[in-house]
Amino acid sequence: MILNYKKSILAAVIAAAAVCSSHFSFTPAAFAQRANERDQQPTPAPAASAAEAPPVDLTGYWTPPMHEDALERGGGSELGDYAGFALNEAGRLWALSYDPSRVTLRYHQCDAYVAPYQMRATGNFHVWEERDPHFHRLVAVHVWGQTTEGHRVIWMDGRPHPPAWAPHTFRGFSTGKFVGNVLVVETTHMKQGWLRRNGTPQSDQATLVDYFVRHGDHLTNVTVVTDPVFLSEPEVRSNDYYRNIADHRNWLYACDDGEQITGRAPDYVPNYLFGQQPFANEFEKVYKLPLISGKSGAASVYPEFMAKMKTATDAEGLALLKPEPGKTNETSKAANPNPTDGQIHVMPLRNNVYLLVGDGGNVIAQLGEEGALVVNTGAGKMTDKLIDAIRKLAPDSFIQFVANTGFQADYTGGNGKFNLAGRDPSLVGSFFSNQHPEAGNTATLIAHQNTQNYLNDLKYPEEALPTDTFLEERRRKFHNDDSMEMFWEPHSVTDGEAIVVFRRADVIATGDIFNTTAYPVIDLKREGSVQGEINALNDILSRTVYEHEEDGGTIVIPGHGYVCNEHEVLEYRDMMVIIRDRVRDMIKKGATLQQVKAARLTADYDTRYGANSGPWTTDMFVEAVYNSLKNPPAAK
Amino acid sequence: MKKAGRIILFKRAHSFRNGLLPILTFTLLLAPAAFAQGQGRGGGRGPAGPPPPPPVAKAAAPWDPTGYWVALVTEDWRYRMATPPKGDLTGVPVSPAGRAAANAWDPAKDEAAGNQCKAFGVAGLMRMPTRLHITWVDDETLKIETDAGTQTRILHFKPTPGSQGEGGDLQGVSIASWDRSIPVMGPGRGGAPPGASLKVVTTKMKAGYLRKNGVPYSENTVVTEYIDRLEHPNGDSLLVFETEVVDPANLATPFWTSSHFKRQKDAAGWNPTPCAAH
Repeated sequence: MILNYKKSILAAVIAAAAVCSSHFSFTPAAFAQRANERDQQPTPAPAASAAEAPPVDLTGYWTPPMHEDALERGGGSELGDYAGFALNEAGRLWALSYDPSRVTLRYHQCDAYVAPYQMRATGNFHVWEERDPHFHRLVAVHVWGQTTEGHRVIWMDGRPHPPAWAPHTFRGFSTGKFVGNVLVVETTHMKQGWLRRNGTPQSDQATLVDYFVRHGDHLTNVTVVTDPVFLSEPEVRSNDYYRNIADHRNWLYACDDGEQITGRAPDYVPNYLFGQQPFANEFEKVYKLPLISGKSGAASVYPEFMAKMKTATDAEGLALLKPEPGKTNETSKAANPNPTDGQIHVMPLRNNVYLLVGDGGNVIAQLGEEGALVVNTGAGKMTDKLIDAIRKLAPDSFIQFVANTGFQADYTGGNGKFNLAGRDPSLVGSFFSNQHPEAGNTATLIAHQNTQNYLNDLKYPEEALPTDTFLEERRRKFHNDDSMEMFWEPHSVTDGEAIVVFRRADVIATGDIFNTTAYPVIDLKREGSVQGEINALNDILSRTVYEHEEDGGTIVIPGHGYVCNEHEVLEYRDMMVIIRDRVRDMIKKGATLQQVKAARLTADYDTRYGANSGPWTTDMFVEAVYNSLKNPPAAK
Repeated sequence: MKKAGRIILFKRAHSFRNGLLPILTFTLLLAPAAFAQGQGRGGGRGPAGPPPPPPVAKAAAPWDPTGYWVALVTEDWRYRMATPPKGDLTGVPVSPAGRAAANAWDPAKDEAAGNQCKAFGVAGLMRMPTRLHITWVDDETLKIETDAGTQTRILHFKPTPGSQGEGGDLQGVSIASWDRSIPVMGPGRGGAPPGASLKVVTTKMKAGYLRKNGVPYSENTVVTEYIDRLEHPNGDSLLVFETEVVDPANLATPFWTSSHFKRQKDAAGWNPTPCAAH
């Protein structure tokens, strides 16, 4: 009985400490964790075995001697040197397209390092333990990298990883356990970043297993990155550190973005067209190696590659600088970010704004003393559960407003039921009541006029149609102690799109303009265009602020996919500009649509967003880009 | 009732602690003596008989090092998969003497003198793009063979004058132990930490090269390696050699690298090739 009693207290204290530690943490790494905890309340009691005393003390100040890959970690490798990285075709092409001038763009200037590269980077490290204050059990191991203030929190208390729809951070979400004398850490939920600073990419779908082994004053960290998007097999690297007895006191990394190169167009993203990377052979030239050396992916990792280099031809190397012709487009290797249990899941975002996932497109509810303001209504398959979930969040409230970001069925499927389930007391007793006695008996549905037109064309029932529309610029409301604005994004994926901005909560709902699951569905019939889509993404970026080193800050909710910040929008914007540039270049040279499709101009993004079947294939996307560039809609 | 129950529980807990305190004090007082006895009598198992002999290295192995392993050349690629240009010493903390020697590297001269294996000596061998074949020679001796340069390293857990040889060759004399990171004063109340690394200290080697382009180490070098086997959730096993090279003649500070190998299920790819000087 005593033991049981003590265990229960222990569990409660550790759980409380864990919650406190993350809720009061200011670091971006804690952002995903906070969201996870909110989504999974109550925080589960830690597993007893996971919180045992560590067999090895890893704490202290550690410095990498940089004896390995000193050039890469210091001045930086040559462009085109991807030797030893198991890059697949998409990874290699992504890297070859990378122009390092991209980091001069405002939004890239403060990019942090993803966890594996953080461990590889130059600079000192500080490792400390977080213990619960009463029983001294290990809650977390903190690893702080000097460069970019890279703070990794390795949770040791047995808590689960966040759900698939939780936000990503550069350092990701890490849990650890000791296996013998080795700390084994598993990390998920990382943002897109570098494996090497010359553009060698790591996707947001990558996971990391890393190992910490201490031998006296020598600490070794082995990282194993698995990335289904850019790697064909796990990438293993190891880092050494020696122990310092003194705190060198330089742990901060001040970074604020600014104008580095003025006069650039907002839709300019430095990149190289396929086959036109002028420095592609720089590495091989310096070391007198065949061109295949830095471009052969997993083959270059193994000893037999030495023999291959002796017989390689220039033609073999040149072929690696472009997409393989005639190859079937790759398809997305990304994990499904949606729940699959048939339930609606609620995640608090900030202040009084919540995310509800589970029924097609993401749904957002803003709650307060006034009625609920809901952004989008899902696919209509689980509308009753969505409405129930909102009622549970605010039992004394009601649904007053519904804002539609666009006409798409995944966002408007529940319009009718939401409308009928709600009411809008602001209309009762107003002049509307004289003309329309029923005014206010249902919720008010807000959208751009073109969205109402599209829904009308689709013969949506009357109760599902927006009743409060706007024609230009924006619609705005001060509601539940926050400013809500809808901004029209003309000619983006359609000509009826609007983003929804909650100013105080600092949450932006993007609708179909941005998602983490597919290429944007540019609907030419409804006057969508690639340039309008780029403009819309830039407009979102103009409204975001990061919290720390391009991490955290403004919360961006995509139409489909996981909770984001500006970095994900930025990478998506870059992709759209780069693909536009490639298609435009071929159009200028007189290419037909078939020739453009055959050139596989999306080959470096297909493993992330591509599809060869379903409602929106890569071919359809490329066709939309091509046609919207050939026949752009009239500017507004 | 609830409140009363809780009070009783607290009282029990309190008395439990009171009872524990003298036991703890007693144990702590006795601990140094027990430790000293353990040191003197091989574990202090009592006066009834001699202590059992320590297990042989093979039986004491906390993990299995044997089998075929392939190098994953993901680091220092340009210095390992190719012969870098003469004088490219990036990353190696060479001393002025080491730099001068590296700048004087002449592979043709090495070939002519029969020194084409200098980059395959113990301080550089694990950095080679190679496969390893690791086997137990006997209960106290481990053998590492490489197909690159067809080298053989012998690791002695129980060195005897006859078994370890005199050294003086490229691989020197290697003394191995299972390193359990126990402090010099004993493990303390928490006991020895679980798991162990394979520690290998090598001396008495012939001078060689850290890299193929003639970055030198002398015959007075001490190479200390910690070898760990790591298991990945996908089923891969990794063998990581964390290597420290100390050479007062050619290095200004110790030179640290870590080289990793992936376990193979068989000898696929095993391709013994002779040394080459460049």
